[in-house]
Parts: sequence; C-alpha cells; structure tokens
Amino acid sequence: MSIPRNIAMALYRRFGRQRLRRIALGSIPFIVLITLWYMNGIFHWLPPVFIPTIYSVFEAIFVLQEGCAGIVEIVALDNNCLMTTNIFSSLGRVVLAMLVGLPLGIGFGILAGMNRTVSKFLEPIGIFANSISGIAWVPLAIVWFGVGWMTTLFIMLNTIFWLMFFNAMLGVRGISRTYEQSVLTLGGSSWDVITQVYLPGAMPSIISGMRMSMGFGWRALIAAEMIGGDSGLGFMIFSSAEEYKVEEVFLGVLIISMIFLLTDRYLLMPLEKWTSNRWGLVWRPA
Amino acid sequence: MPAKLIVQGLSHHYPDEYTGESVHALDDINLEVEDGEFVSVVGPSGCGKSTLLNILAGLLPYREGSVTVDGNVIDGPGHDRGVVFQEHAILPWRTVARNIGHGLELQKVPKGERNRKVKEFIDLVGLEGFEDRYPHELSGGMKQRCAVARTLCADPVVMLMDEPFAAVDAQTRITLQEELIRISIATKKTILFITHAVDEAAFLADRCMVFSRRPGRLIATVDINIPRQDRNWNEMSSNSEFTRARDQILKLVRGEVSADEA
Ligand SMILES: Nc1ncnc2c1ncn2[C@@H]1O[C@H](COP(=O)(O)OP(=O)(O)OP(=O)(O)O)[C@@H](O)[C@H]1O
Ligand SMILES: [Mg+2]
Repeated sequence: MSIPRNIAMALYRRFGRQRLRRIALGSIPFIVLITLWYMNGIFHWLPPVFIPTIYSVFEAIFVLQEGCAGIVEIVALDNNCLMTTNIFSSLGRVVLAMLVGLPLGIGFGILAGMNRTVSKFLEPIGIFANSISGIAWVPLAIVWFGVGWMTTLFIMLNTIFWLMFFNAMLGVRGISRTYEQSVLTLGGSSWDVITQVYLPGAMPSIISGMRMSMGFGWRALIAAEMIGGDSGLGFMIFSSAEEYKVEEVFLGVLIISMIFLLTDRYLLMPLEKWTSNRWGLVWRPA
Repeated sequence: MPAKLIVQGLSHHYPDEYTGESVHALDDINLEVEDGEFVSVVGPSGCGKSTLLNILAGLLPYREGSVTVDGNVIDGPGHDRGVVFQEHAILPWRTVARNIGHGLELQKVPKGERNRKVKEFIDLVGLEGFEDRYPHELSGGMKQRCAVARTLCADPVVMLMDEPFAAVDAQTRITLQEELIRISIATKKTILFITHAVDEAAFLADRCMVFSRRPGRLIATVDINIPRQDRNWNEMSSNSEFTRARDQILKLVRGEVSADEA
C-alpha cells in the first residue's frame, strides 16, 4: 500500500469517515483564502501596505512581544508583552460581561417568557435598547464612565443582556404547556417548573443566544475598545492602524477570529451536544 | 365508603377574548368514581372531555360546582391526581428512568427507595434495557408506556388519562390497552380514561360515561360487566356483553351527533 493511502486510512480510523468529511468540507474555504493570501505575497496583486505577507504577520508577534521577559510578565499583563496583554485584557472583559450578562439575561428572559406582566414591562425597553446598536452607545458611555473597562463592560452588557433576554423568552414560549402541566401534576412547584422545564426546554434558543452574544458581544467590545478603551485587541488594532502597521492589524483580526472559533468549538458545541442534541430537541440535517 | 372522586353540578364557560362571548363547555356534570373503579368517558369532539379532565387535574380553575377527591376540594394540581397526556407526556431532557422517578424526586423520596420503585415500574411496563435512553430514542408506544409508568410511580390516588393512546398505531394501541388492564389489576388504581374511540371505552372500563355535544352533558352511563382479568382482544369479539355494551355506547354517541346535526 502506498504511503498516502496509509495516511488516509489512519486518519479514517482516528476521526471516522463522517467527521473527516465534515472537517475537510469546513476547511476548504479557509484553505482557498490562505492560498490566495500566500500567492499575493508572491505576485503582489495588492501592495504590502494593503495586504501584508503571511510572514510579516507572523513576525508582528515577535515585534509586539519584544522585550517580554517571559511568563511572569505575560501573566502580570506587562506592557512589554503587548500582544498577550491585549489578548488577556479583551478576554477578561468578555468573560466578565458573559458572567454577568448570561445569567441575568436568561433569568429575566425566562421570567418574561412565563409571565405576561414581566414581558409587557421589559419588552418595549428591550426593543428600544436593541434598536440602538451596541456601538452607538460608546460616546455616551465614555461621557458616563470615561475611557476604560466600565465603558466596554457597559457596551457589552447592553448587547448580551438583551440578546439573551429575547432568546430565552422566545425559547420558553415555544415549550409545550404539557411539559409544565406534567410537572405540576406530579407535585412540582413553580421553581421546579423553571429549573426542570423552562431552562432545559429553552436550551436550543439559549445556545443560539449565546452564539449571537459571542458574535455581537465581541464586535461591540472591539468597537468600544477602539474608541473608548485603553487596552485590548480593539485598542491594539486601532493604534496599529494609526501607525500604518497593517501586519499588526491583520494579526489582531486573526487572533479575534481564532478565539472566536475556539470558544465556539470547545465551549458552545460541547454544550449543544450535551443538551439539545442529546435530548433530540433540534433537527439536524444528515 | 364514599366515592374516591365526586363531581357535583360542575359547569364551565371559557371566556372569548375577541368576541366577548363565552364558550359553554360543560353543563351541570354530576358523577362519582368508586375506589379502584375504571371509568371511561366518551363523547363527540369538542364536547368538553379535556375540559373536565383539566378541571379534575387542577390545571383549570372552575367556578360553578364542586369537585372532591378523597373528600378534599380540588383547587390546583397535586400529586394525588396523576395525569397521562396524549402528547408530550414525558420530558425530552430526562432519561426513561429519570422520567419515571420524577414524581418521587419531586416528593423528595430518598434515592435508594426511588430507584427500587423505578425498577419495579420499568418492569411493569416492559421498558427493561431502556432506562438510560432519552424519549426521542423511543417509539411512540414506548413513550406512552413510559408516560403511564411516570404517572403511576408517583402513586396518585386517581389516574386521569386524556386519550393517551390516540397517537399510536392500531396494533400498538391494542397492546397498550391490554397492558393497561393488566396494570390496573396489579395496582388497583382508580382510573378515569377519556377517549373518543368507542371500542376502547368499552374494552377498558367497568363503566362508560357518554357525553353530549357541546355544552357537554352526561347523557348516559353504560355498565360493562366483564371481569377485568377476562379482558383481552382475542375473546372480546365473541363476548356478548362486550358487543352489547359497545353497540349501546355507539348508538348513544351517534344518536347524539346526528340529533344535533339535524
Ligand atoms: N382554552 C380555551 N379557550 C376557549 N375555548 C376553549 C378552550 N379550550 C377548549 N375550548 C372550547 O371548549 C370546548 C370543549 O373543548 P375540549 O378540549 O374540552 O373538548 P374535547 O371533548 O376534549 O374534544 P376532543 O375530543 O376533540 O379532544 C370546545 O368547543 C373548545 O373550542
Ligand atoms: Mg380533548
């Protein structure tokens, strides 16, 4: 047997045919993009001031981390380690906003889903808040909180809370009343209904709300950091652009999408697998 | 001994938000179900059968009349009245075993005792080997078996069943009906079984109550004098008592429908 065939067989055994096919299908667009990018470095269709070479983007890591004295400084968020410090700064803000925004949004969303008074009270203000997209709040937030983490947190919470609110609310409304009635007739309380019917039943909706929160939350954060931040990936991208360091801008954008892909792959997809998919709540194409 | 379930002068009107008129669903219902009795309720579609069941379950507040179970006036759901619904009767996010043990879990029964009872009911409804499966991995018939076990395992005083076998295929339905007879013998539960299938009503029950078209009124009660252990479908076709009861119920239901349509 030939060597490529052996490799292919080993891959099949390791991942399974279905998964391998999915991975291959999903990678094709990326491979095309990277190839085009690489070829641009050779043929210079667009000059390097617009599209830096792959190598210069890679180099930018070392330029930004220049003078970084190792793990201690990285962890201490020292300004000598610009790249990692900005990554951790943005990540920290995302985690904080998620820790606050997800439970609050889900909690109020469930309440609004089960209670008309709560939904009548919160829905109009939610539609109002949603109509002003995250970034439009930035100038006002700077006036209120100044430049820094309060402003970015405010902007992100504004996005995440309402997304989770509406998704959880719609999720609860989509659950068959029979589930709730069956818990009540088995002797369950309203709290039992919330934790054992509404929360799991709204899970598909809540997960898609989390996806959207990650997407719009990151976007809001980057925008807020560009205008009203003093650190973070958005701040880094913006200051690099001002100095015409395109390769640093590219690096920043790549890091953001990487973090994004990783959280989706290693947080949301497992959560989805363990809840909605396992319970058969969502229909999946073959 | 007084009856398990007593309904007196029960009427129900649904308000209509849009027209302002109300729908008169139940009219002056009086009925009693004795301890251990199996009663079926038949009637044309829309006559208020589900309304009656929801009131008995405590899921629908009522204003006219009185309903008592074991002498207690019903005002809200409680685990003394177990319900088996037609659809969505078990929770998709719980395994078969956890669905069946759900009532005991809500009643804070210790885990050891709970597991023992769950096992007993899994055996009773023949779901061995499926304890850790989720409902979407079960067939329609298995789901309803699980639903029956889930309600029974909570040990209700009265079992209320609203067309529980309507959504399964004919073969499975026959099996489930025979199984329900066997279970009712084993557990001696008081059962109120709603259906619009006349065969089913006559096959299962000791007594069948026939409802009129809307507003639902109790027009007749038909006794079916066949011992519970003799009830299996192989014998029924040649059982004169069954044929008599079934034809009588059928006539009552059809008479009701045509009298109203004319
Ligand atoms: N929530 C509701 N609001 C208003 N009217 C209702 C409501 N539920 C039921 N009704 C009306 O009350 C009447 C009785 O309904 P019910 O569901 O009790 O009938 P049913 O006998 O169970 O019928 P089926 O055999 O089709 O299940 C129907 O005419 C129906 O339109
Ligand atoms: Mg009904």
